[in-house]
Amino acid sequence: MRCWLLLLCMLTLLAICCKLDVEQAAQGRVRVGIVYDIGGKDDKSFNTAAWQGVERAKKELGILLRDVEPGDPTSIEPCLRAFAERNYDLIIGVGFAQSPLVESVARDYPDLRFAIIDSHIPLPNVASLVFKEHEGSFLVGMIAARTSKTGKIGFVGGMDIPLIHKFLVGYEEGARFVRPDIQVIPNFVGITDAAWNNPSKGKELAKSQIDKGCDVIFQAAGNSGLGVFDAAEESGKLAIGVDSNQNWIKPGFILTSMIKRVDVAVYNTVKEVVQGRFKGGVHLYGLENDGVGFALDQYNKHLISDELLAELEQAKQKIVSGEIKVTDYMAK
Amino acid sequence: MELISILGSTIRTAVPLVFASLGGIYSERSGVVNIALEGMMLAGAFTAAAVTAKLHNPWLGVLAAALAGILVALVHAVACINLKANQVVIGTAINIMFVAVPGLLSGALFDSTGSTPQLAREETLATPLVYAAFLAVPLSWYLLFKTPFGLRLRASGEKPEAADTAGVSVTAMRYYGVLASGLLAGLGGAYLSIGQNSLFTRNMTAGRGFIALAAVILGNWHPLKTLAACLLFGFAEAVSIRMQGVSSIPNQFIQIIPYVLTMVVLSGFVGRVSPPKALGQPYIKERR
Repeated sequence: MRCWLLLLCMLTLLAICCKLDVEQAAQGRVRVGIVYDIGGKDDKSFNTAAWQGVERAKKELGILLRDVEPGDPTSIEPCLRAFAERNYDLIIGVGFAQSPLVESVARDYPDLRFAIIDSHIPLPNVASLVFKEHEGSFLVGMIAARTSKTGKIGFVGGMDIPLIHKFLVGYEEGARFVRPDIQVIPNFVGITDAAWNNPSKGKELAKSQIDKGCDVIFQAAGNSGLGVFDAAEESGKLAIGVDSNQNWIKPGFILTSMIKRVDVAVYNTVKEVVQGRFKGGVHLYGLENDGVGFALDQYNKHLISDELLAELEQAKQKIVSGEIKVTDYMAK
Repeated sequence: MELISILGSTIRTAVPLVFASLGGIYSERSGVVNIALEGMMLAGAFTAAAVTAKLHNPWLGVLAAALAGILVALVHAVACINLKANQVVIGTAINIMFVAVPGLLSGALFDSTGSTPQLAREETLATPLVYAAFLAVPLSWYLLFKTPFGLRLRASGEKPEAADTAGVSVTAMRYYGVLASGLLAGLGGAYLSIGQNSLFTRNMTAGRGFIALAAVILGNWHPLKTLAACLLFGFAEAVSIRMQGVSSIPNQFIQIIPYVLTMVVLSGFVGRVSPPKALGQPYIKERR
């Protein structure tokens, strides 16, 4: 027994040494570390978008990429610190939940560069990548209201936090903009971070909304949203995807996706570091720079009419010009 | 209409809990604490979805999920029964392990990082698993309380010395108990991934293994009462889902309904629970 344990320890040490070799081999290349949100990089939504951003940077800019999927919230900070101790050139925290952690690590390492997605950290060495989710949600709200036959549409949010209310408020305003009498039924999966990884509950919420008469449901719930797609397929209703283009997941049952170009934001930030023009502060992505929007591809072309597209384009222009004001829940 | 909708939701929510908590009963009645139900469910959920995605046959997926559950249970059994390790620690280790193992395997099998490919709707299998869950309850009751095998298994958890003296192999009985728990929890996981949903995602059990454990305690380690507890949890969840967004009560209050209900029921209505007396104690022969 003891023999085996000893062997195990030695193997572990060996593995660590090999790892160090790899680190040294990276000399000269820009090293980027990214720590995903609790949903994991395979949520086909928010984290996947961040992953696509760094992957693109790896291919095009030749950076050395290290990524971590924390198993639980308590392992996020050690991961961030591990990158900082190794003097990574850019350390990216994905998601609002990492905001206080990135802030405290960035304070301890003022010479290193950090990026945080979905939050604002007022430090000179942190780039805050924030999105106008309310504007994109406004447009998909319009699509939902124009498509609904019953006059009732649903919303399934993941964790009940202000950021997700930002999606909800934009969605409601967009729906009311084209159809003032529309009824929006909002539900949330939960109040802890487990709410991002509970597709069964997402499906139950969607089913209850369908039972109440909803025929279009917008989900902003990470992995839990995949259950919403299942419910839509089972009952022959429509769902709206979020963050990434999710139209391909259940072709014909996904009306559109509210795209949030986390990938572009992440890629741009890495590029700035590589080109030596990294800037801290807020980097805002909205309709005006295609940071948010809705997805239109071969899977949902037949679901959205040309008149609606024209109407959406018009609304988009008006939002950009400030003629239509969409409430930002988090600005209140 | 609303009633039917709530009932359907109650049953769908209860099924994975019924499987896992029955598993918990077998293991704990034989004297082995099993907080690894969560990990065993995850193993079953991942295996079911992975095998179905590869072979396009959900029945094979279910079979594989049961085997995967048994395999994980075997680790628990060897560590707890033969090596006499602390059962809670081993259970926790298994739970932590299965946050990561599916990610590792899905990378190798599907080039993804934690989920399996989306299954077609024809490849899911909800109804047979629902029947299986509700059939397993009376069967387990009969097996545990009406057969010599059940008596031996329970004796190993109540007073292993006495069972041993009577010629029962405590080790074998505990193995049966733990492996049965793996099988059932694996099936519960399979229902989550290829019954209710159509793929495996990271940590998709979302604490159901622990709620199942609470149902075991609430049901006093008895299959029929535990079924009632599972249905109660399912009902509370279904009602809280339907209350959300309709009333003016803040969301957070509605979300805590299932948990408050558990505490109220545990403290007020169940009375004293009586766990198996030798629960959690490794059995060492010849110890006085």
